[in-house]
Amino acid sequence: MSDIPLILSSFPRAVVHVDGDAFFASCEQSRDPALQSKPVVTGKERGIAASMSYEAKARGVTRGMRLFEIKRLCPDAIILPSDYETYSLLSKRLFSIVRRFTPDVEEYSIDEVFCDVTGLRRVFRMSYPEMAQRIKRDLDTELGFTFSVGLAPNKVLAKIASKWQKPSGFTAIPGPDIHRFLSQLPVHKVWGIGSNTAALLSKHKVTTALDFARKDEVWVKKWLTKPFYQIWQELNGRSVFPLVTEEKSTYQSIQKVKTFTPPSRDQAFVFSQLSKNIENACIKARKYKLATKAVVIMLKTQAFRMQWLEVRLSRATAFPQDIVKAIMPAFTQLFRPDEEYRATGIVLTKLEEDTMVQLDLFGEVVRAEKLSKVYQAVDHMREHYGKHTVFLGSSLLAQQFAQHLGARGDEPQRRRQLFKGETKRQRLGIPMLMGKLID
Amino acid sequence: MESRSRATAIMQFYRQHHRMPSVREIQALFRFRSPRAAAKVVEKLIELGTLRKDDTGRLLPGRAFFALRVLGNIQAGFPSPAEEELNDTIDLNDLLIQNHDATYLVKAQGDSMIDAGIFNGDLVLVERRSDAKPGDIVIARVDGDGWTMKYLAKRGGRLFLQPANKANAKYQPIIPKQELKIEAIVVACIRHFRRP
Repeated sequence: MSDIPLILSSFPRAVVHVDGDAFFASCEQSRDPALQSKPVVTGKERGIAASMSYEAKARGVTRGMRLFEIKRLCPDAIILPSDYETYSLLSKRLFSIVRRFTPDVEEYSIDEVFCDVTGLRRVFRMSYPEMAQRIKRDLDTELGFTFSVGLAPNKVLAKIASKWQKPSGFTAIPGPDIHRFLSQLPVHKVWGIGSNTAALLSKHKVTTALDFARKDEVWVKKWLTKPFYQIWQELNGRSVFPLVTEEKSTYQSIQKVKTFTPPSRDQAFVFSQLSKNIENACIKARKYKLATKAVVIMLKTQAFRMQWLEVRLSRATAFPQDIVKAIMPAFTQLFRPDEEYRATGIVLTKLEEDTMVQLDLFGEVVRAEKLSKVYQAVDHMREHYGKHTVFLGSSLLAQQFAQHLGARGDEPQRRRQLFKGETKRQRLGIPMLMGKLID
Repeated sequence: MESRSRATAIMQFYRQHHRMPSVREIQALFRFRSPRAAAKVVEKLIELGTLRKDDTGRLLPGRAFFALRVLGNIQAGFPSPAEEELNDTIDLNDLLIQNHDATYLVKAQGDSMIDAGIFNGDLVLVERRSDAKPGDIVIARVDGDGWTMKYLAKRGGRLFLQPANKANAKYQPIIPKQELKIEAIVVACIRHFRRP
């Protein structure tokens, strides 16, 4: 029974999942030989590990670990501020290289891609595994660090495949071999199955992914909801999750959370931090022509305790002064003078398309009309002169100082190494090899 | 005006096939019923200097043929930019960069490569690829913690790195003790002479 294949055909569809190995840390290592084969951690400006090299992982550094813990655990760790500009440039290249093979590409996250290469064997005169390995080879060579690649008949299995051997692995799961892989995989390791579902499944003696796949359809439909039924179908070799190939053009919510150093007890200062986040969130909302009807404000204490409150707005808006005014009471309610705060955040929820809304009795629309002219001008200035060229008075305290004073305020190295004609604000859109150049 | 668009069509044929069309092909190109109509067009274009014929009667590009490309119709007296011709221009990015996804910047340091025309502070474009050959200028890693930019050279089957500064004796060929890891190939070097 246990050695009967789930399906017989190898690749009814050929889905490839590509996953960058320790992406941010690898971006750093690949441009500076002094960092190679050393424990490297990024996220200095946030005070926690955002990404760590395999050398750092081997020493026990985990994601989200606080910097002082890292220093204790691994004193020789090289802790770097994040250089999101470079990471994004390299991420774009990842997508672009995969698109050389097929237009059917899902940009799943900054360092993960799904692509469908079904039907392309004749075009490239390669088998599917050869094609997937070719993608890996091109990525490894051109980006200068390694990727893990999985090939399978659908997304759920492709994701299992890419994780099978990491780093720099290539694993193909053809249909007739699916059960061999699933029998070695605990069910909670399957993409989309959380601890609650795993607990439920274990009550029914389902511990491996294969146990789950071998359950009959009626049982699955009876005990589980649709997403899990779909996962079950994919584990059985069918392809039900389509690739989402269009670029992200809208958002459900927009979130801006920023840590600042040193932490503060000063109410006005903490509020200005929040105000700055609101301005940033509004910039993004306006960019996507969205307006929010409800916001959540968040304060994080030095003891990493998070408190939040939701505030509903009378009218959908993408203008920071509307929001700043509306949240003032909630902020006063949340803020405790005896606490020390390290981060503030805002989430814009209930986003809707920003079209001119219905008229009201109190002349609000007229005011909004005026504000929208102001913000057209503000956005124009931002395009020309950079973010926060003009900002709200309530953000002044946050704008006066760097986000992080002291060691955590280190700028990414790329910002300090400029070419003639580059400025602190605008640099060439090409990543730079940063290491020491020995003459 | 008509001659100009006819000439442009012939130009496009030339670019696509890398040869001039025959009169028959011109007939097909303009959907003429008779070859005579095509011959008339050809005569007209020969008159304008756009085409000429060789001894065997085959068509050749005339004096004015290539001028068409950038200046529009010279015959009209005034050079007018012909939009379709602008498709043939490339920008500096395309000129300097072959594979955008694999191209990186390096800031040149020192004077070990001045005989190759690379000076301190130059903006150097490099491409990550795995097929470096002797004679390429490469970014390599040799037994140390940094990069180095040198010519890749080969003698007696062994690869080594060759600096390019004859005037300074301190720059000697670098022969790797253990491994020579080639990271990228230099494709271009950009130098500002005036602040932009």
